[in-house]
Amino acid sequence: MSWAAHDLEPYAFQKHLGFKVAFVPLLIGSYAPDLMTKWFVYGIHLGPWDLKASNPAQFHRGWPGVGFTHSLTFGLLVGLVIWKGFGSKLWAISFVIGHAAHAITDTGDTVGTMLLFPWTFHFHVDAWAYAGQTGRFTDAAAYFSGLGSMWDLAWILYGFYSWRVITSEYFDAVIYRADPFWPWLNRWVPRGALIALYRAAFFYGTSRWIAWTIWAHIVHHYPYDLSWGGPHWVPAEHP
Amino acid sequence: MPEPDQVSTRFEVPSRADLRVFAGYCVAAAVYIAIGVVVNDFMFSVVVAMAYIVVAAWLVPTLFRRLRR
Repeated sequence: MSWAAHDLEPYAFQKHLGFKVAFVPLLIGSYAPDLMTKWFVYGIHLGPWDLKASNPAQFHRGWPGVGFTHSLTFGLLVGLVIWKGFGSKLWAISFVIGHAAHAITDTGDTVGTMLLFPWTFHFHVDAWAYAGQTGRFTDAAAYFSGLGSMWDLAWILYGFYSWRVITSEYFDAVIYRADPFWPWLNRWVPRGALIALYRAAFFYGTSRWIAWTIWAHIVHHYPYDLSWGGPHWVPAEHP
Repeated sequence: MPEPDQVSTRFEVPSRADLRVFAGYCVAAAVYIAIGVVVNDFMFSVVVAMAYIVVAAWLVPTLFRRLRR
């Protein structure tokens, strides 16, 4: 899994696609595969109950499980529903692109994703360890000690290189005009707040990358292991 | 409102005004990071981050400007 890439990839697509996409569904698509499932992977305490998947990796990425949410097929299906059901081709295309970016990015870990579901083959590059089964804090420590963290860093650096895509001028000229959602929201929310909202995912991805890196390596001294498939001090899951 | 063809996404050196905006976000980020390192749960929600950045980058500066008038 990736932590900050899903926040930052939509800005890179926005830079290259301009009016061909709408930013909000692009971002929703980028978050969609994990939107309803991540809490059950890590587990939560709800009063006297501990709710957690018995096999988190299988639940998250596999079948049986909700791994189909990480397939290109699922993204296309939801896109079709948005297009035919809600009548917005722009939102549909944007959602599909954002969703595909997430599904493909997550092939970077050792579990990978069933990109072509219902074919249940897991596409996986094995660049960094999947450690969701260890709980969210060990997972964070492992992710920010391995190549996944460097993958995120690449998106952060590309985001800063593309800084003009998060300017207020770009927001006014492209983002606001491309999607009727923004003028609709602008009836209640002032422009300045809309711009802050537009930048929020960039801010979130970059800030928490720095914060988790500080937490993992300055507060807790987890060792970096940038070897392929690392960090090897955590038990990585495989399909 | 600028016309779309007037806005380029090619890299340019930021102006002083751009850097001022960036500095404001850096301050907001420093506070967010400090809170996040101490209270890790703060960093798990994008909704919290959205609320935070709207308050830090828009509401606080807006209120500050109004109070100075």
